[in-house]
Amino acid sequence: MRVVNALAVPLLLVGVWWLVSGGSFYLPSPGRVAAAFAETWFSERVLTDVLPSLARLAAGYTLAGVIGVGLGVAIGLSSGLRAAAEPVLEFFRAVPPPVLVPLIMLFAGIDNAMKVAVIVSGCVWPILLNTVEGVRAIDEVLADTCKLYGVRLRHLVLRSASPQIMAGLRQALSIGIILMVISEMFASSSGLGFTIVLFQRGFQIAEMWSGIVLLGLIGWGLSLVFRMVEKRVLAWYHRA
Amino acid sequence: MLELIDLTKTYQGRGRTVTALDRLSLQVDAGELVCVVGPSGCGKTTLLRCVAGLLPYEGQVRVAGRPVTGPPEHTAVVFQEYGRSLFPWLTVRQNVELPLKEKGLDRARRTELVTESLEAVGLAGAHDAHPWQLSGGMQQRVAIARAVAYEPSLLLMDEPFAAVDAQTRADLEDLILRLWQRLEMTVLFITHDIDEAVYLGRRVIVLSASPTTVLEDLKIDLPAERDQLTTRSLPRFAELRGHVYAQIQRTKQ
Repeated sequence: MRVVNALAVPLLLVGVWWLVSGGSFYLPSPGRVAAAFAETWFSERVLTDVLPSLARLAAGYTLAGVIGVGLGVAIGLSSGLRAAAEPVLEFFRAVPPPVLVPLIMLFAGIDNAMKVAVIVSGCVWPILLNTVEGVRAIDEVLADTCKLYGVRLRHLVLRSASPQIMAGLRQALSIGIILMVISEMFASSSGLGFTIVLFQRGFQIAEMWSGIVLLGLIGWGLSLVFRMVEKRVLAWYHRA
Repeated sequence: MLELIDLTKTYQGRGRTVTALDRLSLQVDAGELVCVVGPSGCGKTTLLRCVAGLLPYEGQVRVAGRPVTGPPEHTAVVFQEYGRSLFPWLTVRQNVELPLKEKGLDRARRTELVTESLEAVGLAGAHDAHPWQLSGGMQQRVAIARAVAYEPSLLLMDEPFAAVDAQTRADLEDLILRLWQRLEMTVLFITHDIDEAVYLGRRVIVLSASPTTVLEDLKIDLPAERDQLTTRSLPRFAELRGHVYAQIQRTKQ
């Protein structure tokens, strides 16, 4: 029954797609897109475009996590640092990351470093700001308990702030996927974003659609993995 | 064991100064169980936090002869907010064990202390539970086990049973009496409950309303063995309770 429930809406959508697409050039039928998908992505493109994209995403996301959590803990623990940094942080967070791409290109060139930097520049803010909030929200009674029993702060801070840190990481993941694609649409020669734009320019419409489907599947898969990790890390928080 | 001399604590608010404790002096000998009662809002918790080294103060606070500048050694605290004083991501055993690890005890000794203390509070079967899987009374037992396992010479308790139901409260009161008699520690027990103070205390310190000072230092001349039924129905118990009650009512005027 659960399987039927989970599949009902996707099947319905594919059905609607089938009906609507009838012969349109710009909207190929699901069958044609599926054929193009198999042909395009079950090939060496996995090595030349998909994996490099995912590797850059992983690098940027990890780096953003380390910077965001590290700075977030420091800012969260120090009220002086917080007062100084908070207005600036709000400003940086408000800048839409894609507009930084041309700027980052000037500093970091057009190779992997630029793409990773773009991903970091977008992912770091939700992680940083959520970490600051999480660290600030540490329970006073628990903090007092640590002081009294000589329990070092590191036992408290990260675990106590982990619900907020995970919320930040979840937001950052979807931002990261968006920026992974966008960074490859500028001055690039490989990657998923690059390939999709290439197909579009070459009027390989079914192939272009298959790339979009692949991105959707990657996003879906990553969020599944994230949810599994979160379930383990925050078991105590969700009281499972 | 514990000496307070002219302990004064003032809070600076916006444009006004609130004196919470006003030249409060108090002495507790080693091995005593002293209860502190006072009208609500009289700074009982402030007093305890000064002793625990969690608040700066004026005057003198000495634990085992040493002036308190931070959390004193060999001192454990049980807070009222049991739910917030336990680490929710650790199991019961880990909660009790963590302070012992930080103290640098070896594994064998830690296991021994954890097992003993959890057994003493009646939680021998709950080692691997998480705090949130336990009832309020059981969570407070974990906090007490953690305090006891720490082998404190001074145990500070801040209205520890204010948030548990009446039956659990009676059980926990007797638990504290048993542990105190067995472990030769000094206990400073803060409560707003007059019955509880008279039942548990060998001495009851009655505090005045804010700015707080010691109103009366009352010796509780009840039999050493306390029992929820017989002790509480003694005429002397009623007398003492009535006396403390009248004192506290007087401070409110």
